[in-house]
Amino acid sequence: MFGLPQEGVDRSFSRRWNSLRARESRLAWILTSPTALIVFGLVIFPAFFSGWMSFHDVSLRNLGNVFSAPFVGLENYRDVINNWAFRFHSWRSWGAAVTSVVYSVLSTGLTVLVGLVAALLLNRKFKGRGIARAVFLFPYIAPIVSVAFVWRWLLSPRTSGVLNDLLLRLGAIQDPLSYISTRGLALIIVIAFTAWRYFPFAMLMLLARLQAIDGTLYESAAVDGANGWQKFRYITIPELRYVLGAVFMLRLIWTFNKFDDIFLLTGGGYGTNVLPILTYQFTFESFDFGKGAATAMILLGILLVFLMFYLLVFVRRGES
Amino acid sequence: MASDKGDGQKLNIFGHLARWFTLPRFFFATGLTFFLTGVLFPFYWMISSSFKSYAEIGSRRPVYFPGELRLDAYRELFDPSNPTFWNFGQNMLNSFKVAAPTAIIAVILSLLGAYAIARLRFRGKEALLNGVLLVYLFPAVLLMIPLFAMLTKIGGALGFGVQDNLLVLILTYLAQTLPVALFMLTNYFKSIPAEIEQAGLIDGCSRLGVIWRITIPLSIPALASVAMYTFMIAWNEFLYALVFLNSPEAFTVPIKINMIFNDPTPRPHVVMAASTITTIPVMVLFLALQRFLEEGLTAGSVKG
Repeated sequence: MFGLPQEGVDRSFSRRWNSLRARESRLAWILTSPTALIVFGLVIFPAFFSGWMSFHDVSLRNLGNVFSAPFVGLENYRDVINNWAFRFHSWRSWGAAVTSVVYSVLSTGLTVLVGLVAALLLNRKFKGRGIARAVFLFPYIAPIVSVAFVWRWLLSPRTSGVLNDLLLRLGAIQDPLSYISTRGLALIIVIAFTAWRYFPFAMLMLLARLQAIDGTLYESAAVDGANGWQKFRYITIPELRYVLGAVFMLRLIWTFNKFDDIFLLTGGGYGTNVLPILTYQFTFESFDFGKGAATAMILLGILLVFLMFYLLVFVRRGES
Repeated sequence: MASDKGDGQKLNIFGHLARWFTLPRFFFATGLTFFLTGVLFPFYWMISSSFKSYAEIGSRRPVYFPGELRLDAYRELFDPSNPTFWNFGQNMLNSFKVAAPTAIIAVILSLLGAYAIARLRFRGKEALLNGVLLVYLFPAVLLMIPLFAMLTKIGGALGFGVQDNLLVLILTYLAQTLPVALFMLTNYFKSIPAEIEQAGLIDGCSRLGVIWRITIPLSIPALASVAMYTFMIAWNEFLYALVFLNSPEAFTVPIKINMIFNDPTPRPHVVMAASTITTIPVMVLFLALQRFLEEGLTAGSVKG
């Protein structure tokens, strides 16, 4: 190799270029590049671009020529944080940041809980279990628009709304309630809807884990005289703990990012304005793209806090 | 309840008693009924309401069973001679035009990418896979703004409109679905023994020949489930369609339903008819491919 420099370099280069390994990795890059290009081009790059926009004054006027938008420093952030819709005011009006956190934590908790109950039900052997399992998945796979509007109609403020009708018949209420346009109630409805729609995801993950639990654990517990509750408390829950944590975290992140559900149910009104909806309002209702981007970046920031918390608490504890 | 796994095992007399009269059985039956009602009732309401007349819709009390199967609502959606014709067929066609290409392109691209990640050695493989999965944590609203700005700019330079452009939608749906498609297929390919392919390679097939003759036939179920899953996402998607579509002729189904819902004269039975028509294809596809799809769902697929 060192003896004949020129020729040696050439030959080793061409050998490396043609070696099996090099051909393999070249092929790999060719095969993965379309996917990588689309995903990084339409996600990673825009994510950074969004950060850039949040420091600039971008409106409909200069949208066609974004890069000439004037730099405004932290102006957008200051405006957003001082904005009425964003800020916490009182116990009656929380502002988007607090509403977002409360909504996503509570609805995720409920989602996981309902999913756990559903998984426990389906973990039993019974006739028609396969069908029941498929049916339980319906809310999750149906188009969001369809189910959101069905819910809105079921919750109609008039006496012809199904929930009002049922509660009136039962005598639980005297007058029909307007669930979706009452502060407080609206948030509860939105949380209930989220749990209804997304519990199947938690159910599937938990069911998969439940069915992997070693049956001999329960047998030996039964020999030791454990009752059903004790078996559940000391075998099932510890076995599920890791999946519960992972599902909770995943759903928390997705719920926190979620726009459609609340937008279609309440339009973000009556104390249900969350950060994604506020982002949409800044961007496509007042056409202030800079402020919209700043709101989205704040959302991302809170998301990262959740993620750090998860990594610190669950992953580290899991290791030890 | 979950602990009730001792079927066929030896139980003492109290165990037998406990198995027959117990609270668990009662709880189980109640729980199952509760869940089935809770899940199915909204769907029953959607389908039954689509057959109601305007009088039944407007009555003081909810009508739980429509008097007869009236097709008024469906006529409004599809019959051009109806005074309030919604041209819904056009919107279904639009949705199909977006969802089908998304599904086909996603399958082809993720097939190639996943094969490379599962079978070939190359630098940056892990980084690529992790980077692609990281996409899943980004909020859609964060990407919506720069995408809108970027595509407006690119569109302006190349002379195509961003608004009402179904191609733009296909592109954004691909970006949303490719990560999981890639992830699902990579896992699937890893579960196929590499020896089968090596035999093909030794027999003189090229890599692409191996993919075409061996890998694809072996992974039809996985490919079908990826296609189905991407189709469903594109068919159901709301936010990007809302942002990128402007004129009712270009609307996809979800946006059109939103428009009918927000019509000044409320017509819930039409909304329910449109929802029924939109939901049924998804349900049928799901039930047909349920077993394969569930693997996808647990892989974290339907981000939602």
